[in-house]
Amino acid sequence: MTQNFNFDATDRSIVELLRQNGRATNQQIAENLGLTATTVSSRIKRMEDANQLRVVAVSDFAAHGFNFLMEVAIEVDGRPASDVAQELAEFPEVFAVHLVTGRYDIDMLVALKDFDDLSHLLLDKFSQIGGIRSMTPAIVVDIIKYQFDIAPIEG
Amino acid sequence: MTTIQLDDLDRQLIELLGHDARVSNRKIAAELGVTEGTVRGRIKRLQQEGLIAFTAVTGLEMEAKSRLAFVSVHANVNNVRAIARQISELPLINGVMITMGQFNILAICLFDELDCLVNIASDKILSLPGVHHVETSIAVKTLKYNTRIARITEDGLITGLGG
Repeated sequence: MTQNFNFDATDRSIVELLRQNGRATNQQIAENLGLTATTVSSRIKRMEDANQLRVVAVSDFAAHGFNFLMEVAIEVDGRPASDVAQELAEFPEVFAVHLVTGRYDIDMLVALKDFDDLSHLLLDKFSQIGGIRSMTPAIVVDIIKYQFDIAPIEG
Repeated sequence: MTTIQLDDLDRQLIELLGHDARVSNRKIAAELGVTEGTVRGRIKRLQQEGLIAFTAVTGLEMEAKSRLAFVSVHANVNNVRAIARQISELPLINGVMITMGQFNILAICLFDELDCLVNIASDKILSLPGVHHVETSIAVKTLKYNTRIARITEDGLITGLGG
């Protein structure tokens, strides 16, 4: 994943415009930056191929009927934490999974449609994964800031 | 909270554009068997309702500050919102949520060197009035990070790092 990819000033200018409007046409971007549409197109493709850029529609949790969000901190016992995290990552309700330093081993973000889904998810799904010693949830009651435009990009 | 009414076409659009936002309206229209005008109108409506936004997601390699840390904060309960807002204004903080649990604020921070993290978590956040305790955990490995579904802020603007 960490092949060295060098972004030059042109790449950064293109990305900056795409951040503002991901659906700007190559022609519009080219005119704005004094480039040709072909250059814009090939630069975008190069960054995408290197897994350093995705231009996407981001949809709100609400558009998917997700009404609440939880952070769950997990202690792992007797099994590699990576393996446990890998299994957790397979659930669609799980938005982010990180191995972390500190008191807990795994930190994850979970989105749910309604409160009733919680018992099924915790008792029937997560708890069936081997190696979880404890799960400590925190319910998100308000989101003050959520910037998602810098992230590890999966291939 | 208003109930959101989305039909199958909306959902198909969200799914398609969630993979690649640079597909032309014409191509989408052909794929979904509707007119270009319908596609344009639907996209506009979804944007206006704050349900979708188009942006560029860049890989961590592009950023100088490319490590992620979770800063759990124990703050005064009677002004937690104001404290959370102050934290959200600090540099390199890219997510702030108010939570109910062991801590009452979760902040997500981008950093490069440990000094930088110490400066934000142990100096800047900890010294805010009303903050009693912070616990920092560094993400050492990311197994999943879904950027396609998020919280779109009220003004519909997505700001870049430092924007």
